[in-house]
Amino acid sequence: MRLVLAALLAFATVLGAARAEVPVPPLKARVTDLTGTLSAQQQAELEAGIAAYEARRGSQIAVLLLPTTKPEEIEQYSIRVAEAWKIGRKGVDDGLILIVAKDDRRLRIEVGYGLEGRIPDSVARRVIDERITPRFREGDFYGGVRDGVQQLIQLAEGENLPPPQAQTLNDARHFFGTNPLVAFILAMFVGLVLKAIFGRLPGSLLNAVGVGAIALLLFGIGIAIVAAVLVFIFTYANTDSSGGGGGGHSTGGGSWSGGSSSSSSSSYSGGGGGSFGGGGASGRW
Amino acid sequence: MRKFLIALIATLSALSLSGCGYNDFQRLDEGVKAAWSEVLNNYQRRADLIPNLVATVQGAADFEKSTLTEITNARASVSAIKATPELINDPAAFARFQEVQSQMTGALSRLLAVAENYPQLTATKEFGELRVELAGAENRIAVARGRYIKTVQEYNVLARSFPTNLTAMVFGYQPKANFSVENEKAIAAPPKVEFGKPAAK
Repeated sequence: MRLVLAALLAFATVLGAARAEVPVPPLKARVTDLTGTLSAQQQAELEAGIAAYEARRGSQIAVLLLPTTKPEEIEQYSIRVAEAWKIGRKGVDDGLILIVAKDDRRLRIEVGYGLEGRIPDSVARRVIDERITPRFREGDFYGGVRDGVQQLIQLAEGENLPPPQAQTLNDARHFFGTNPLVAFILAMFVGLVLKAIFGRLPGSLLNAVGVGAIALLLFGIGIAIVAAVLVFIFTYANTDSSGGGGGGHSTGGGSWSGGSSSSSSSSYSGGGGGSFGGGGASGRW
Repeated sequence: MRKFLIALIATLSALSLSGCGYNDFQRLDEGVKAAWSEVLNNYQRRADLIPNLVATVQGAADFEKSTLTEITNARASVSAIKATPELINDPAAFARFQEVQSQMTGALSRLLAVAENYPQLTATKEFGELRVELAGAENRIAVARGRYIKTVQEYNVLARSFPTNLTAMVFGYQPKANFSVENEKAIAAPPKVEFGKPAAK
């Protein structure tokens, strides 16, 4: 037993020692340039192009330029990036990542599971050979990335994927799934308002039904029933209905829709939970 | 007596706090199965490319016979092993599976190396695409193996650490076979399938 544990420990240390590698940068934008190659305007243009595609199709694309992936091969590094960033929608897995290791003169297109049909490895390789590396060889990194991304978008457009509104639903699911307390407070707040308008019992019932319906849409029947019952009990028992009715109602609704719309337009909300299996192609210039 | 009681209560509460791990076993067991299927899938993906590769190579050039024979033999011994999900519960069969697959990896990289001596072959579109497909299969295998290793590690730690090892004992959950470290080094370093040169058009 002790021997086995020792062996496991040794195994873990070996794994740990092998991890003296380039860290994966945090995902803050669709285009991450750690090499200072792209100007702010070029970066913004790429961002805008990808954002428009994401809004239209719901799929996600990320671009990463970095100096080097050494000591790892670009394939090993890029799968770590893919696992950390989770580009693409959860379950649909329609993410694409373009990684350029500038000093290594290597690049890779990482293709999510959901897009492997439209963009098999040989096609990804063609995008690299025909669109990207010819420009990279001329030193035109912006042009190469732009053309490559455009071509990838065109290819991905052909894939039969679920429509993009699923994305907001996914966002909501993710948000309430990870912050149940926020959902609860929100429900209590709405409950106060409803009680003030419709009375104690009808207001509580209405709130429970509403919350149940949303939970049903997001999580399924089981959680919906539990949520509805809990919300009913708490709303009914919560007698502190001193808050001003109409004003509270409008701020509550306003903050909710405001929050969701601002997160989708201005700041980047990050990867949607897509997974990758090592599909795609690498190249050099 | 009092001391014993306190010790007993402490042990019981520790057990109930950390849980018996039964559900964790179920979750990880399924995880290991899924990860293993992914490994098998990707080895199969590679094996499926072989007939095409052999045909292309034979068609395009008067290719070195020994390399081709080696590939065909490797393919035969790979398909002789039934790649079932049960393989992970049988260390001997697992080791054998690993061995034939790494023979295949070696044979393939030798074939690609030898192919460099046949420019009229490497210039063809079919060969270029097969090379990319092969690289994709190798990369997917590496990814799937990496994930399998991680999942099995998690499972085995659970099966061996207290108190979940008691659960494992009661229900007969054995630690699962994993790819060995030495082997992993050999895989990570390469029989390198190199695609450095821009593909011919």
